[in-house]
Order: sequence, then C-alpha cells, then structure tokens
Amino acid sequence: MDREELLKKIWPKVRKKHLYPQLPMPEFVEGEELVGLEMKSKKLQLNTAFLDLMKEKMAEEDVLEALLDHGISHYMFCPWDFETHLVLYSEAKKVLKDKRLAQKAASYFMDVVANTYCVREKETKIPELYRNLPKQGIHRLMAMLYQVIWGVELGVEGEDERVKRLARIPYLDKRLWKESVRKFAKALEELLQEEAQNEQKQNQKMPNPLGEHSLENYTLEEIDRGIRNFATSVEDIQQFREAIEDFKEELSAMGYSTGGIGRGRGNPVDADLLYYMKLAENYTLPIKKLPMQKSGALHPYSHSPWEIGKPTQDIDPWTSFGKIMPGLTQTWVRREGEVFGEAEAIPDCLVIIDSSGSMTNPREKLSYAVLGAACACNAYLKNDRRVAVYNFSDAFRGNKVLLEFSREKEAIYQAICRYFGGGTALDLNDILYLLKKAEKPDIFIITDMQITNLEKLIEFFNGIDNRVTAVHIGENIYASRFREGIKQKKNISLFMVKDKEDIPKIVLGKVREYFGLPF
Amino acid sequence: MKNPFEEFKRHPSKERSKEIPLDRILRQKEETLQRILRGYENLLKNEAKDLVWLMQYSTVIKAYSIAEEAIRDIEYTAEDIEEFCYALDRTDQIPYLITGPAGVYISALCNYAKESEIVLRLQDLGIKINLLGYRLPEGKRLIVEGNLGDFTGISLEGGELIVEGSTKNYTGAGMKRGRIIVRNNAGFNTGHGMTGGEILVGGRIKGLGKIVGGKIYEKDQLIFPSEDYRPFYF
Amino acid sequence: MTTGDGYQEKVRRIYRFISENFYLNRPDLEIKGERYNSALLFGILTALYGGKELIIGEPGLGKTTSAEYIGCLIYRYPLGVIWGSEVSGHPEQTEEKIVGRPDLGALNQGREVVVWSNFVQLPVKIVDEINRLPETKQSMILDGVDRGNWEYLNEMIINDEYVLFATANYQDRGTNTIIAPLVDRFDVLVESRHPGPNLAFQIGRRSKLYNPLRHPEFERKFHELLRSQVPYEEKVPRLEELCEAYGQYLKEKVGIEGLSKEERFEIRKQIASIPLDLDSNAFLRMVLAEFSFCHRYGQKRSVEQCQEGCHYTGYFCYHVKNCASNRLPISAVGYAQALAWFLEEDEVDLEHVKAVLPFVLAHRVQWKDSYISKKESEGRNDPLQIYLAKEAVEEIFHRYNEQRDYLLEALAVASEAFEGREVQLLDGDHPIYEEIKKEIAALR
Repeated sequence: MDREELLKKIWPKVRKKHLYPQLPMPEFVEGEELVGLEMKSKKLQLNTAFLDLMKEKMAEEDVLEALLDHGISHYMFCPWDFETHLVLYSEAKKVLKDKRLAQKAASYFMDVVANTYCVREKETKIPELYRNLPKQGIHRLMAMLYQVIWGVELGVEGEDERVKRLARIPYLDKRLWKESVRKFAKALEELLQEEAQNEQKQNQKMPNPLGEHSLENYTLEEIDRGIRNFATSVEDIQQFREAIEDFKEELSAMGYSTGGIGRGRGNPVDADLLYYMKLAENYTLPIKKLPMQKSGALHPYSHSPWEIGKPTQDIDPWTSFGKIMPGLTQTWVRREGEVFGEAEAIPDCLVIIDSSGSMTNPREKLSYAVLGAACACNAYLKNDRRVAVYNFSDAFRGNKVLLEFSREKEAIYQAICRYFGGGTALDLNDILYLLKKAEKPDIFIITDMQITNLEKLIEFFNGIDNRVTAVHIGENIYASRFREGIKQKKNISLFMVKDKEDIPKIVLGKVREYFGLPF
Repeated sequence: MKNPFEEFKRHPSKERSKEIPLDRILRQKEETLQRILRGYENLLKNEAKDLVWLMQYSTVIKAYSIAEEAIRDIEYTAEDIEEFCYALDRTDQIPYLITGPAGVYISALCNYAKESEIVLRLQDLGIKINLLGYRLPEGKRLIVEGNLGDFTGISLEGGELIVEGSTKNYTGAGMKRGRIIVRNNAGFNTGHGMTGGEILVGGRIKGLGKIVGGKIYEKDQLIFPSEDYRPFYF
Repeated sequence: MTTGDGYQEKVRRIYRFISENFYLNRPDLEIKGERYNSALLFGILTALYGGKELIIGEPGLGKTTSAEYIGCLIYRYPLGVIWGSEVSGHPEQTEEKIVGRPDLGALNQGREVVVWSNFVQLPVKIVDEINRLPETKQSMILDGVDRGNWEYLNEMIINDEYVLFATANYQDRGTNTIIAPLVDRFDVLVESRHPGPNLAFQIGRRSKLYNPLRHPEFERKFHELLRSQVPYEEKVPRLEELCEAYGQYLKEKVGIEGLSKEERFEIRKQIASIPLDLDSNAFLRMVLAEFSFCHRYGQKRSVEQCQEGCHYTGYFCYHVKNCASNRLPISAVGYAQALAWFLEEDEVDLEHVKAVLPFVLAHRVQWKDSYISKKESEGRNDPLQIYLAKEAVEEIFHRYNEQRDYLLEALAVASEAFEGREVQLLDGDHPIYEEIKKEIAALR
C-alpha cells in the first residue's frame, strides 16, 4: 500500500480516536530527516524522509499513527490555542530569563503534556516511536522521564535526579500548567543552557523529531485571538510587552502588525499599543449600524379580519371579494413607515486625555484612562466615525499631542498612549481648533481633574452644546468642583472610575444612552 | 417514567482511561502532602492557640518535639518538603500561616528526611520562612534556593546550610557546630549566641550579635573573631 | 446504514446533479473526508427529513434557486409547478393568496367552497423573503407547516408530508425582523453564498432558454389537477401518479431518479431509527446545559441578567440572553440522523452532531452584546450568526474532550440513581453536573 493510501486508511481511524478534530487531511512533505512532523496553520505535515528512516525500525503505519496522535493532541489538548502557548512561554521566561531557553522549555513541556495525554487517554504508538528515536541531551532526559511516568521501557538506562522532580509534575492538570511549566523549566535549566550553547557552537539548531512549536503552527486569526485573550489574562502590561516583544519578529514576518492582521510586512508591532487595543476589544460598545427613524407617514401594512362595529373606510374591497360580511371582509392595518436615519446621527468624537504626572504611565502600568479612551475610540471607529485626540500635560509648554480627526486606529492609539508626566494645564484654543474640524463632535474627556485651569475648562464646557462625557479617575475635591460646575448642563455626563471594570461599564452605558439607540 | 440516562447504563461506570504511573506518583504525592499538612495543623493546634506564637527558646523546643512526633510515621522525600513549603503559600490549602511553627516544622522534616542532601527551590515563594535549619544535624546538607526569614540555622548541630539568597535577622543564632553559607546578605544579630561553627556571608551583614565562639566571614573576610569583634561571655 | 436499497446513492446523485448543473457552488463543509456545500447539503437533508430551513444571503445568490431545485428533484414536481406554488414575501400578502380563497362563483350563489392555493396543497413549500411578510403571516405559515393543517372558512386540509424553505435577505430597507418565537421554529439556518467569480461567470454563460426540469405538458396537468375541485384526499394519490410520470421523464431526460412518496417515507423511517452513540448523546446534553442553565435563577430567561461574579462566567450561559428551546434538540438529533443516513453510517457520532449543530443553533441564540463585540471583528468565512455558533460548538467540544470520561461516568451513575440505587452523584464544574443533580432530585 503506498503512503497516500495508508494515510487515507489511518486518518479516519485517528480522527475517530480523538473525537473528530476540525483538522484538514495531513499531507506529506520532503524535509529534514530528523523531524517527523510539522504543523503549519493547523495543517499536519508528515516528513517522508523521516518515515523512510523509521521504516527500518517500526511499521510505517505505526509511525504515522504515532505522529498523528502527537500532532492532534497538540491541537486538542496542549497548547490548544495561542493564548496558552503565550502563557506557557511567559511563565517559563520568568524562571529562565532568556527568550530562547524559555521557548525551548515551553516547547518541551507541551510535548510532554501532549504525549502523556495521548498515552493515558488513547491507544497510541507514541511510546514505541520514542523507543526508536535517537536519545541525546534533553531527549534522553525526556525518554527517562517517559519511562517513569508512563511505565514503559524506552531503552534508556541510568538515573537522573532531575527525573524525580520532573515526574512529580501534574502534566495533565490544566489548571496547574502555569506552576508546572515553571517547575519544569527550573528542572531543565542546566540542560537547556547546555543545548543552547552547543547549538551556538555548531551553529545548528537541534531539531525536535516531533516538530517545533512556533507561531507558524497557528493561523493569523488564532494568533490575533490568542493575543487578545492573553492581554486580558496577564497580571500587568510588562508581562504582555515582554512576551510580545520576544515574538515581534515572527509576528511581523507573518504580516501581523499593531493595526491587526493583513497589513503586510513592514509595520512593526508596538506591544504597548497592542495591549490596549486588545484589552479594549473585550469591552467594545456595540452600536446599531442602521438606525431607523419613524417617517411619520401611515401606510397600509397588513390585513386583519373586519368585525361588525369596526370602521369601514379601511376595508380592502379586493381581498374582501366585494362582500362586506364578517369572516370574509378584510380591512387594512396601517403602520408608520420607517426610514433610514441620517448617518450623521452618530457624530465624530474628540478625545481629551490627561497624561500629566498624577496620571498612570500607560506603558508601565495598566492605565484606566487610556483603556477608557480606547473603548470610546473603538465605539466611534466601529461606526465609521472619526476620532481626534488631544493628549495634554502642560500644554502651554508644548507637552501635548494634537491629532486631527482621523480613522487611523494606530495613529489614534499612539496619540492616546503618549505620556508626558508633567504639569496639568490644557490650552482651550487647541480644543477649539479641533472642534472646528468636525460637525459638532462629541467630546470625551478623561482626567483626574487636577487641572490648573479647571475653572476655565468648566466655563468652556458650560458654553458649548456638544455632548460631553467626562470621566474622572478617583474622587477628589477637583472632581467635586467640576461636578458642581457643570451640573446644570444636560449635555454633560460625568463618571468616576476607580477600577478597570468601572470604565467600560459606566462609559459604555452612558454612551449607549446618549446615542439613544437600542441594539 | 422513562430513565433519561438509560443509554449510559451500558457505559461501565468503572471504565475510565487507563492509569499510568504518573497518576500513582501524583496520588502518593498528594497523600503525603495531606499527612504532612495534618501534622502541621496538629502542631498549630497545640502550640499556636488563638494563632499567636511567641518566639522563645522554650516554645521552639516544644514545637520541635511536637513536630518530630507528627512526622515520625510519614514516608516523604525532599520534594515533598518543597511541596509543603509551596502549600504554605496557598491559602486554599492552609488557611492560616504562622511562620515560626512552620519553620520549625520544616526543619524537623529536613532533619529527619532520608536524603543526606536536600535542595529546596523556594525562589517563587511569596513568604520568607523563619527558623529554617533549626538543629540541622551533622551529615545533613540543606540547600535553599531563595530568600529566608529570621533565625535561619539557629542551633545548628553540625550540618551544612547553604542559602542561595539572603537571610534576615539572627542568622545562625545559638549554632553549636556546622556551617552556614549565605550567598547574598544577612540581617542584624547574625551569629547571636553561637558557640561554634562557621557563617559565611557572600554579601553584607547588617550587624553581628553577641557571639561566643565560631567564625563569621563577610565577603571572604573574617570579621569574627577580629579586632573589632571579640567573643562575648554571657 | 447501508440498507442495500440504494436510496443514499440516489440522493447523492441528486446532490451532484444540482451542484454541477443548477446551483454552482464552492464546498464549505468537510465531513468524513468529503466536502459539501452547506446550503445544498442542508437543503437536501431538510427535504428528506421534512424540516424547515431558513436560507439567508445577499440578493441573487441562489437562495430560492437551491430550494426550488431540491424540491423539484426530491419530490418530483416540475419546476414550473414549484414556481407556481411559491409565496413571495411582501407586506401586502394576504391569507387568500397564501392559503386559499372562496370560490367566487359559489360565493355569489351563497355557498362556501374553498379554492386552496398550490402552496398548501404541495408538500414543497417555499416562501421567498419571509422576513418581508408581516408577523401575522409568518406565524400563519409556520403554524401551518408545524402541524400540517391548513384551515380556511371552516374547511381544512391536512398535509401528510411537508417541507418548508424560507429565504431572507439581510436586514435592509423594507424588511421586518423575524421575531424570536418564529425564528425558533426553523430547524436550520444556512447561508447561500457567492460561488466565486469563476463559477459565477459560468452561471452567466448558461442559457436561460433551456431547462430540463421544466415540462410544460406536465406542468399543465399538475395545474389542472391542483385547481380542480377534487377533494384533497383524492387529489394526493393522483398528484403522486403525475409525480411518478414526471419522475420517469427525469430519469430518461437527465438520468436522475427522484424519490417517490413511499421512498421518502421509508427514508424518514430509516433516518429516525439511526441511534446516537454515547459521545454524541453526552455532547448534545452538554451543549443544551450550557444554553439553558442559570445557577442563580434556575434557568436562562431573556428578561433576567447575569450577576457579576457568577462562577459560571466561563460557560455559554453567561454569553447568551435567552434559553434554548426544546426545538433545538429535536432539530439537532433529526438533522444529525439525516446526515448519518446520507453518509451511510450506522450510528450518529460526534462528527455528525458537530457538523449539524452550528446550523441548528445559529438562529436560535441571542448573544450578549459583549460577546458579539469581542468576536465580530475576527476573520471568518461565515456570516456572524453561523460563525458564533461554530465557535461555540468548538469551544464546548473542547470542554467535552477534556472531561469526556468523567461526564460519561456521571451520566452512568445518574442512570443508576434514577433506578433507585444509592449512589453518590458526581460533582463537576460544568453546568451539566448540576443539572443532573437537579433532575435526579426532581425525579426521586
């Protein structure tokens, strides 16, 4: 039986074993002898040279099945998605402090988990495959580990203290993977360093027979989703930045940029911007795209049976067959027509954000101000409106950014994330300048209200008709003063934010109200 | 009424995925940890009434003897001791942590472990354990990766304690013989009451205590006994 | 389920014939290594199962066409007859145009005689742009198809078999929405997509003048019979005779055998007899649990909001507003069985259920804004509703895969508990475990 036929015979059996994963039919490729399997964007690629090599030691059917089991387990169990991959990498890096070592550790960890899952949960030839694979360096240690935790003989003799530690890790408990990968990385640290040094000396990477774990395993959509989930799950922006920076080159090579996928190479990823973009995606306000308005005119809509006592002027003689009698006669029911509203019902938005010294530096810690502004920007941009940004610290000394109305998400985020850390004074002329550039735009201002010329600002807001959403971070006397100053104005809404979860709730709710549109 | 689960009757409830040695190892690990935890809780019940424990010579001795009793029949390894240290950090496993008795308990575990060399990797631990290395006997080597708290290695009885990190105050207090190596810094009252043995601190020592005998080195330099520091007689 | 009667092969031939000649398409669904076009496949399954299908898509992309050809070939009615029986959706549709009208001559003589529309007489019912109909008319059609009964002026006809294909454009000027209680009555939602520029070009090149599925002579005979005053019960076997004759014509002309009424009934029997394997059974229960469960309020209700800090925020009960109706499992099981039959399988397995579920779920779920906004900008090949359903099925499947053995054991233990044995029910994080406990507690 030739290989293709063999694969056609085995693939349904393996799929059934793993409960029918959504993976396309694998394919054969020619590649390095020592690597049996690669996964590129969910497609399993089986290396013919590897199969030729293994043919002497094992039945080809068994080799194929073992490789497929391994590949599918990565898809179905560990890492399952790109977010998990990033988390494992990030945790390994906390211990190993080196990108290459952390990648290796995470990779080996995922292999152990996937293999052990297969051995425990399914009938698999993976142990037999490992029995016949070369065992040097870390692979030797891994084989020793497998011997202990699977209870099979893989042809490795000797003892290693590290195996004792490694054997106590709960590989199949997903909830403990973060802790487990740290322990795993720690136990393997020396060996990983040795391997890295050898690779450097020989200028050659040590291949993993069952495939490498890299971004190429995932589609761009999976990477995008993984990054978004990762942004939500990390403890702080530093951790996110570190992980993304480490993968910057690979991401750019795949065409992934800060603006998203499909932008082509050449746009490097800005990890901080990406963090806020992805985090804001979790809180985006949905706004109805096609608002309807009542036209005010009544038109015939449907029929209803006529009853004695009902008016006769709306009787439809045609559907009544010329008869006026109960049970036969139909009368028109009229309804007010609905037409499209003006697209301009959602205006553009001017975002005013305070980046003075009293505000959090968004590139060091999660800034609720930047996150809130990002959510608001997303809401407008999604409705094809434009956003302008006025980022100020001590504006009179030049510490400000003015971005005119635009739909360029990256540029807007750049402007929002800019941090000056100086004094706090805004120049109302700048605001007036920007307001003139659009047709009565909404204003969205985020600040802790510790503004030197707060009174002027209050006066300014009292003199305009634009809808204003003001958000202040924390409670203080300035916020109270502002509240007092604008309380007569119906077009100004004020919110306080103390916590990440407050911003999207309050801002979005209020935006929903002032858009006045049900979803 | 028809049984809504009838189709599953034919799935034998005992048929689960096969067990591999990893399951047994983890189960054993968990059982051992639970026994060790019970011993610790027992110690707290007896010694830390109302969750208060006074650090005194007599309370330490009493706590240690209760700990010895508690761990007598438990089969454990060095890795189990490390697991217990991490369990102390997790409030879902131990609702209350008192570092004094905890340190004494861990010391007892180390002293009675089968292995002559024990390595505890505690870098990720949120807490700093006090009283670790209490009465470490001769022939025992305890290597701790991470930082420790007060009273590290007190009453050392000939063993070797290596701390790949820093310690706080009263390091090596009352030690009789043996060796304590601290790679980074040590706190105040280092060596207070020590009568023999050596303390080698790779970094800075904030202050020495009233030392009777033995030797103390700071950054490879002998600082006790020296011109500036002479033995103290209680 | 290979019964040796060759029905599956007949149906597959019909699929291929339509796909190659009338409804040019790109396959977008892979099942058991074979690729199919979802709109065509589900259309065929709907016709076999006797279900109700809602077909959405941009104008002019073959929504109605696919239904017409399927109806024509599976039920053996000439295309012109199918066309003549369609109801088109516009606000001025009346019951008289949809169901029947009084015989005007008889009416003038003081007698009530109903002239039934072709729509209610034929088993193949196609409603074009159903969302342009007023809600009262939508409801009337769905009620009629649900029960098979059509009433007008105190007279009634009963369809012994029926299938409904309804098309709907995306929301635009002049459309109503199909309200939730009505949309829930559809078994499946599919999208009729653009076939791509190359196939579209082929469509453009085809001659409009000749269509082998049209036959003026047969169509005339059908129309004559349909509008005659013969009682419906007598009409049905005569219609079937005409269908048989038309079927012979099709066999000679295009080499395609349609299905006779007996064959269709037999197929439905075969479909209904296909069992579900344990995995598909358990997985479906897990899906139903996630879409109906509410820890705080007992069940999901569209008028009740989730509380913050609920333990179950990781499950779909947190992301949806409404509760899954009982029609969901009926549709899911029915279509999974139909699919398994189509693929000549002996039992329904997870792959069948996973293939069918998104289409059965898509129109029934009301997602929360927060979930939609997270997902709507992701790259996809499907319209948002179907994409969200596919993602949900995949995510729940992942959970099922992780706890499969434990869940099967929990269900086995529940079975014992139901029979009165003293057993300890298994605990778990997923809503299904709590639901099992509730059921046992209620039944004890």
